[in-house]
Amino acid sequence: MQILKNKTNYDFIGKRKPALFISTAINLIILVGIAVVGFNFGVDFAGGTVVEVQFNHSVSASDVRQRVESTGQLHDVSVQSIGAASENSFLVRLGGVTQLTEEGGAKASQALQALGQIDPKAIRVDLANGIINVRSKQPLDVAQIEKTVEGTGTGVEEVRDIGQAQSGDYDYQVVASGMADRIRGALVQGQAADKPDFEMRRVEYVGPQVGKQLRNRGIQALLFSMVAILIYVAFRFDFKFGPGALLAMLHDVIMVAGFYLFSRAEFGLTAIAALLTIVGYSVNDTIVIYDRIREDMGKFKGKPLPEVINIAVNDTLVRTILTSGTTALSLVGLLIFGVGEIRDFAWAMLVGIIVGTYSSVYIASPVTIWLDEREQARGKKAGVNQPTTA
Amino acid sequence: MDRGWYWRLGLVIGVTLVTVWLLMPSYYSLFKVDRSERNNLAAIEKAMPSWAPPAKYRINLGLDLQGGIHMVMRVDTKTALEKRTERRGDQIARYINEKQLGQVTVDTDVERLQLTLTAQDPSTMDAIEKEVLATFTDFTRVSRDGARLVLTPDEGQINRFRDESVDQAMLVIRRRIDKWGVAEVDVRKLGTDAIQISLPGRNDPEQAKELVGTTAQLEFHMVDDTTDFFRQHYQNSPPPEGSNITLTTADGFPQLQGPNREALLAYVKDATPQGRVVMLECIASATRKGVCDSYRTYLLEKEAPLTGESLTGADASLSQLNEPEVNISFDAAGARQFEELTDKGVGRRMAIVLDDYVQSAPRINERIGGGRARITMGRAGGRPLEQWLADAQTLALALKAGALPAPVTTGEIRQVGASLGDELIRKGSLAAAVGVLCVIVFMGLYYRSAGLIADVALLLNGLLILGGMALFNATLTLPGLAAFVLTLGIAVDANVLINERIREELSHGKTPRAAVDQGYDRAFWTIFDAHVTAIIAGLILFFTGTGPVRGFATTLIIGLLASLFTSILVTRVIMTYFVHGRNAQTVSV
Repeated sequence: MQILKNKTNYDFIGKRKPALFISTAINLIILVGIAVVGFNFGVDFAGGTVVEVQFNHSVSASDVRQRVESTGQLHDVSVQSIGAASENSFLVRLGGVTQLTEEGGAKASQALQALGQIDPKAIRVDLANGIINVRSKQPLDVAQIEKTVEGTGTGVEEVRDIGQAQSGDYDYQVVASGMADRIRGALVQGQAADKPDFEMRRVEYVGPQVGKQLRNRGIQALLFSMVAILIYVAFRFDFKFGPGALLAMLHDVIMVAGFYLFSRAEFGLTAIAALLTIVGYSVNDTIVIYDRIREDMGKFKGKPLPEVINIAVNDTLVRTILTSGTTALSLVGLLIFGVGEIRDFAWAMLVGIIVGTYSSVYIASPVTIWLDEREQARGKKAGVNQPTTA
Repeated sequence: MDRGWYWRLGLVIGVTLVTVWLLMPSYYSLFKVDRSERNNLAAIEKAMPSWAPPAKYRINLGLDLQGGIHMVMRVDTKTALEKRTERRGDQIARYINEKQLGQVTVDTDVERLQLTLTAQDPSTMDAIEKEVLATFTDFTRVSRDGARLVLTPDEGQINRFRDESVDQAMLVIRRRIDKWGVAEVDVRKLGTDAIQISLPGRNDPEQAKELVGTTAQLEFHMVDDTTDFFRQHYQNSPPPEGSNITLTTADGFPQLQGPNREALLAYVKDATPQGRVVMLECIASATRKGVCDSYRTYLLEKEAPLTGESLTGADASLSQLNEPEVNISFDAAGARQFEELTDKGVGRRMAIVLDDYVQSAPRINERIGGGRARITMGRAGGRPLEQWLADAQTLALALKAGALPAPVTTGEIRQVGASLGDELIRKGSLAAAVGVLCVIVFMGLYYRSAGLIADVALLLNGLLILGGMALFNATLTLPGLAAFVLTLGIAVDANVLINERIREELSHGKTPRAAVDQGYDRAFWTIFDAHVTAIIAGLILFFTGTGPVRGFATTLIIGLLASLFTSILVTRVIMTYFVHGRNAQTVSV
């Protein structure tokens, strides 16, 4: 079977300028979009709490939301239905990681001041870690501290007695409990203790500092891999090919990032995996064409480079489309049956595969031509300016 | 057919057989043994035939697929450093006082981690500075302004201390989880100040957090044996009915004993004398590991003059009298405090308290200087020596691990219920199967015979990925399943490249033989380059990613290596057989 004509003769290179223009414009829009609107960061990167709840009866997302918010202590809750409607599964997302909020911390610290002769300055509220540090002139009762803070509405996981400080004061640490606790508490209200009508299937909780770390590491990984691949390409081919491959790679990564930006799919660790896979994959297509260009450069000596490249691109067009096609085909199952992040991943890959194919033809090769032209122009200029000594 | 072909065929068959063999433990652990035994190596070993590879070479299911808890705990090294700096400031003040160098006040700025020494008599400051900097070498001078000297811990010390805190926290966490009896726990360091913990099959994150998140505190308290508190309290206000609290005697001292920790503590709570505290010793159950049968009370002085931080080492050994003993050593400051303590306390008992539990309360026989002490376990009760030695070892471990100076906070928790895991496996496998099937059908239709050969290679490739994962004891995660499918999709690319090349060579009028050979030779480097670049991305993902994403990278890398093997070697062996061996006049591409 042969669907595609083997011998094509499209003038890809002739259309390189409008293509480059459009690509650059889209890329810029995406970059501006990232800067202005930003990604929909998942828990991985933004920090926060996600709970997956499955009910044993039919219930709507707004019902779930109402129940979670019924205690009046949880705000900005997002409830999203997942899977088929019959599964009654919901994702409950909260920005907070611990129950300690600015407001709660202030209340708690006021209550603690009343507990003993505690200087307001001796109470430090660490919102990032959900910890209240207390330094008291007198030894305090751990259970009483816990009761006091709980009384102001902040759940306490533990009160630590850290011992006596050098000044003779006593140090305590109040650790606020996690949000998942509170979500469960809100959902379970009015239910028989041993028979709630739901099951907490998944709890994810990422502290804000860890989130930041994960994000930085993800971005680092992306940069490292691009540099590593670039070095490999430059080494295996010619330095002339390096920039083209790099730009094509950047183009593809930005496009896939654009997918995450516009679809509002959660941008988390899986998204980084998608971007990295695209980095590796994007260059695959480019390599197929580069290999051919190099081969043809030997074959058609004397022909100008743009023409050689056009022949090479045309000759490899079928295989470029087929390789991308088979890879895309393997994603079909994930696109249909994938769940959550995995489905997003599959869509991102699909976008990446398509733009990867496009970029190897319209970005990588034109950049190579452009570099070649510049080099020749410089060579000519140098030749003209050379004083002749005859 | 040349000799080289037979060698290659042998290699392909050999690799296939080894792969199938390697997959035995994975097959048994996933399909043959009960799911509760999935992580139990012994059970898998028992179920497998004797010629199978060791059970540890198997594909693990990630926590997202089998259910369980993944946690990242952050060691609060900042608080620990603050406390340590404060304590060192205290020691410096005392040192200056002891050496009679002059009168100083020491102020600690915990935010900036600085000590400010202010001398009453500015003229003494020169001598003080010299002596302090020579003795407390872990501090460097920040500034000196007449009678005020500002010190800060030096960078190397801070880093070492930070590392130590994390290592010790890991020890404590591991010990506590061991107590919990969870099989297949994975505790490892993550970055500079975090610890990653995997608890397969567990589903209560709050409980887990409680277990590993609390700070282990090692303290030395003097035991108050002068009052007859427990006997008097027992006689004056008998314990409530049903609490089963009894008065016993251990080592000649009256104690209360009861099966319920809370009841015991509640019973003595309001009666405890000023400045004293009641702590419990856990009488470990002989049958159930890590469970306390009952608890025994100790009356301790509330103040803990010495904490685990001063401890530098502890190990168990046998004395010359063949008695188990625990040797402990302190750092310089700790040694001095210990000497002071033992000097005042000869004849009394000193309780070693870990996490609020009395581990042991040895009697002080003499003043102990020099920073080295020996806790002799004695041999009472006619228990076998091994048991005593085991006790000594437990105590040594507790001492070592309990010197945890830093609080631990939760950085990240991911918990997946078992039923969700099963569902994800089901959906994931379905998605993978559909994707692979699409590719197989397409290749068969598009390239006919050559496509079928590619399909054989594709299936073998899938097998190789699984085998490779088993060999490296890799973990299959949900993103890993996605990587599995994607890799197969990319793997088939290589065959597309080869087949297209063969078609091209055929259209140039080459004979089938020449076309096939040329096709493979010409496509080789393209395929190689493409794979290497993808592997580079995979490796970087592997080294920077965690959890499921790392699983993705593992699968991707193994898949790409397998793909190199199948697309270049396996398909060529088969192709060559049909074209050369059968001497075909046409080639169906």
